[in-house]
Amino acid sequence: MSQKILLIEDDAATADFVAKGLSEEGFVVDRADNGRDGLFHATDGSYDCVVLDRMLPGIDGMAVLAAMRGAGIETPVIVLSALGSPEDRVKGLTNGSDDYLVKPFAFAELLARIRLLVRRGRSAPAVETVLRCDDLEVDLLARRVKRDGKTIELQPREFRLLEFMLRHAEQVVTRTMLLEGVWDYHFDPGTNVIDVHLSRLRKKVDEGFARPLLHTVRGSGYRLGVNP
Amino acid sequence: MHWRSTTARFAALVFLLQVAAAATLLLTLRAIVRGQVYDRALATEEVLRQDLLAIQSDAGTAGLARAIELRGARPARAGAVVLLADAAGNRLAGNLSAWPPNIFPDDGTIAVELYRRRHDAPEAMLVRATRLPGGARLLTGSVVEGERRTVRLLEAAMLVALSLAIAFAALAAWLAARMIVTRLDDTVTTLRAVRGGDLSRRVADDRSGDAFALLADAVNATLDRLDSLVSELTIATDTLAHDLKSPLTRLRSALERAAAQVSEPAAQEAVDRALGEGERVLALVETALRITRAEAGIGRESFAPVDLANELEQLAEIYGPLAEDADRAIRVVAPEPLTLPLHRELIAQALGNLIDNALKYGAGTITLSLKMTPNAATVSVADEGTGIAPEHRAVALSRFGRVDEARGGNGAGLGLSLVAAVARLHGGSVTLDDAAPGLMVALELPLRS
Repeated sequence: MSQKILLIEDDAATADFVAKGLSEEGFVVDRADNGRDGLFHATDGSYDCVVLDRMLPGIDGMAVLAAMRGAGIETPVIVLSALGSPEDRVKGLTNGSDDYLVKPFAFAELLARIRLLVRRGRSAPAVETVLRCDDLEVDLLARRVKRDGKTIELQPREFRLLEFMLRHAEQVVTRTMLLEGVWDYHFDPGTNVIDVHLSRLRKKVDEGFARPLLHTVRGSGYRLGVNP
Repeated sequence: MHWRSTTARFAALVFLLQVAAAATLLLTLRAIVRGQVYDRALATEEVLRQDLLAIQSDAGTAGLARAIELRGARPARAGAVVLLADAAGNRLAGNLSAWPPNIFPDDGTIAVELYRRRHDAPEAMLVRATRLPGGARLLTGSVVEGERRTVRLLEAAMLVALSLAIAFAALAAWLAARMIVTRLDDTVTTLRAVRGGDLSRRVADDRSGDAFALLADAVNATLDRLDSLVSELTIATDTLAHDLKSPLTRLRSALERAAAQVSEPAAQEAVDRALGEGERVLALVETALRITRAEAGIGRESFAPVDLANELEQLAEIYGPLAEDADRAIRVVAPEPLTLPLHRELIAQALGNLIDNALKYGAGTITLSLKMTPNAATVSVADEGTGIAPEHRAVALSRFGRVDEARGGNGAGLGLSLVAAVARLHGGSVTLDDAAPGLMVALELPLRS
């Protein structure tokens, strides 16, 4: 069964673009162009994820979010906002949203984050001590990495990066998601900081093995998985 | 306290006026009492004189002498002084033994001390000499010994009162000075709090309507204006961000769609380049907004305890691979953990900018260090490159300021001014120094409560 996304966005061009992209990715998208209609749809509770613009005519996005949470609707919400200051982000996240994406965003970024939220919404994260992908095995307690039986030596930063990729295996992870997930920073570190990290990790994890596991997704970021 | 200090001068003025008022009051009182006391003596003397003169004109000098002897025999007014002398000054009658040598007729009333007959102590008296027809001289007067004692007592009491008045004046001056200082205290603390970022703080209104209340009103009005300007600025920057970002979002969507549709390598490359440029415009807008907001003190509410040593380790970790790829290294010199209330995101971005700059324009090992002094924590980023000449350092810190094209490049003009704005947001400052060789940028963050 395909997943349902509610898109509450007043800017028609952005909404068209997002809705079209999500449909192409196999989601069923319902649209609302103001807070009142959006809240009405959201109270239905049948959505897997709500994409909510922060500045809306009628009821403001944050108020829609507060009303949803007040009504006990726990659908994951990702807030889209032109307000990019750290304070706005913190306010957005503490008001009950699950993620906060600053405009303008790359569609791939939004898609990756929606996928993450939808998956998280369906399965409660189990406490795992060993993460696996194909013949790659990471023991989180012993902090040991093995592939095809061979031990791979990783620096602490590489280990954390790999752990993050493994926790989001088979999903597209963007550069900003990595920076947020591994170091909890939201600013753009500039240059190709994250790419350098990934290329080093790839050298250690993939070089010398038949199947590459770390893939670059053009225009989006990275994916760890068996299939290219 | 300096003598030019208004408080000191005000206190001195209060003191002097208090003392002057007390002195004037006491001196006036003394003059009045004294006048009253002596006026009575003078009047008595005058009555006596007129009396005697009348007798003289009726009965002649000899008659007067007899009359005086008669009066002296019976207890007349206790304080009366009478002496009748002939032209040579020999006593004819009266209760003085001899004519006092220094008293002459027409001298008016004189205060002297003389012995009366049958008195063994000299007494203070007011006397007046009158020339009688025929050459004889008459001295009339009134003893004022009691009055003089009263006046003396009064003067002693006045001295005591005056010294008490001086003590009270000093107390009044001190209290007045204290009152000014205390009255201004609230205003000063309010302004200090506002400077520290609490824009909603106001001076309490005491409804007294005095000069201090007027000052407080003016200060509050100024702060209201400042507050509204800051919130207007926030709204303006947020609106600018929103207005700029919506078209940028659409631009980006259009480019992404184009990227998905074109297949020729040349077109792909052009779209990628356009996307990259869009990203840079956005980064520039975002940084400029962050600087403006930091300069306006917006973001202090996000301060939370952050371990600076740990942040430096993290940043070294993030930028480490980039440095290693360029055959360089990032070293952290942080002897101990140091936790301060900071805006973590902005501090990290500022330090990240500095490391990025050091990677791009510096050379050699990059040293991130954390130093503690009693009043401040200093975080610095140093490289071993050519540095910035002292005369160019101020330009480097200004917004959109670039030292030269060699240090230019994409979007580098805002890096250092963001660092400066972030430092100011934390009440600190940024200095550029010579790392000998290389550039050292130091962020000094005050350790306040």
